[in-house]
Amino acid sequence: MNTHADVTAGAGASGTLVLDDLTVSRGIGPVISHVSLAVVPGSITAVVGPNGAGKTSLLESISGVIQAGSGSAVFDGVDITKLSRRRRAKLGIVHVEQGRAIFPSLTVRENLQLASRDASVVQSTLEYFPELEKRLDSATALLSGGEQQMVVLARAFAARPKVLLIDEMSLGLAPVVFLRLLPIVQQFAATGVGVLLVEQFAQLALGISTDALVITSGRVSYAGPASRLLDEPDTLRKAYLG
Amino acid sequence: MLQGALAGLAAGGVYAVIAVCLTLMAQLVKVINFSQAAIGMFGAFIAVMFAEADVPQGLAVFLGILCGVVLSGLIGWIIATWLPEASISARSAVTVASLLLLISMSYILFGTKPKTFRAIFPGPAFEVGGVVVSQVTVVMVALAIVVAIAAKVVLSKTGVGTTLRAIADRPVAAELMGVPVKPFAIGVWLVTGLIVAVAIAIVAPTQTSDAASLSLLVIPASAAALVGGFRRLDLAVIGGLGLGMLQGATAQFPELSLVRDWIPLVLIVVFLLWNQRKEVWDAAR
Repeated sequence: MNTHADVTAGAGASGTLVLDDLTVSRGIGPVISHVSLAVVPGSITAVVGPNGAGKTSLLESISGVIQAGSGSAVFDGVDITKLSRRRRAKLGIVHVEQGRAIFPSLTVRENLQLASRDASVVQSTLEYFPELEKRLDSATALLSGGEQQMVVLARAFAARPKVLLIDEMSLGLAPVVFLRLLPIVQQFAATGVGVLLVEQFAQLALGISTDALVITSGRVSYAGPASRLLDEPDTLRKAYLG
Repeated sequence: MLQGALAGLAAGGVYAVIAVCLTLMAQLVKVINFSQAAIGMFGAFIAVMFAEADVPQGLAVFLGILCGVVLSGLIGWIIATWLPEASISARSAVTVASLLLLISMSYILFGTKPKTFRAIFPGPAFEVGGVVVSQVTVVMVALAIVVAIAAKVVLSKTGVGTTLRAIADRPVAAELMGVPVKPFAIGVWLVTGLIVAVAIAIVAPTQTSDAASLSLLVIPASAAALVGGFRRLDLAVIGGLGLGMLQGATAQFPELSLVRDWIPLVLIVVFLLWNQRKEVWDAAR
């Protein structure tokens, strides 16, 4: 498990995202309390936990959709706790929101060009999703759910992130499509991108992850290697129960 | 009657221009801008104020238009800063407040009497079958069509247009991609402010030139925008021109003079009812 000291020690590493004692409030009270973690380049950290545990709020506080109440978030040595969403995106933090956040009035090509005007970047991104090649000039709104999620991921890849935050990629997708997308995320992370993967399908997410964070009622109940949760189902069960 | 219809084209042109701007704002920055015409009115009154102080007419008009642009940008900045994720109703309510504020300010600064505007495009342009078409009519119709086509081209063929459509679809997602959403939103306000300020500066000499009448040009313009469902620019132009011609034609009949001013309101009610004809009660509410 990453202790406060472990996390602080990792803060200086290049491309590393470090949260230290982060607390996020929404409405009447805190939804995330005292969360510390480090996401290093090339790693995948699965964030799992029951519904309403605060997983989405955690990602939103990192990308700046909501502001943290206390604690700090440091990325690449820069304190991003108070930065705007745009500044965080410019630093290389890309957030794939849940619910297939496509731009429906744009074509697939326009969605990708929004992330990068460099044709070679768009082309190299499409190598991860060859299915999209023939749909480049289609309106994104007309694509299937699976294709739309591919567009969202491709757009995030084309933005050349250093840290990728993925929220509930499986939401509304057929299992076969989700299983098709997981190895792509793994492949992309292997290029040196840190990935924070929030997912309901805990076993599948843990299967491709190096690290894991179990959140229950806004608090971290487990932080450590993902393999341990896979090997010891009791540990996972206990962590879910807080 | 044809003379009347053609005479109404100048008003129809300004309805169409404002309708195009209303449609663009509804689509791109999610607001029904009830202060759209008032912004132009205020700019036109500023131009008159400078002209009365012996500033050359060209410079006075330029300063008036500049004032309209700045005012529009200011309202846009307020909404983009404090209400970035508010509903379209809440954002539109701010523009109602702005409309009332601008009318009140104009009464305080310029008085309540109608102003005398010097025509920028005086005199007739040409004559068709004995019917005279004024220069203002030609310019306003051309402006409406050019603005609609230019907006369509920019939105569908340029990178700026792609970014604007992305912001319109999902502003938060666009911001998470690093898009500067607030400057783009304020840019839309500045551009629509410029277009409307120019249109009202041109058409003001041919209209009832008090603050309330010019500001309430937004009502027939809203009716025109509603023809296009606040989505279609081409139908907004057709709606504006058609409404102007209809009002012009009815003005030829003294017994219909009272009906004339009610035509936009009747159109608004008819289109609202038509658009919601398939809604069940709970959804329609």
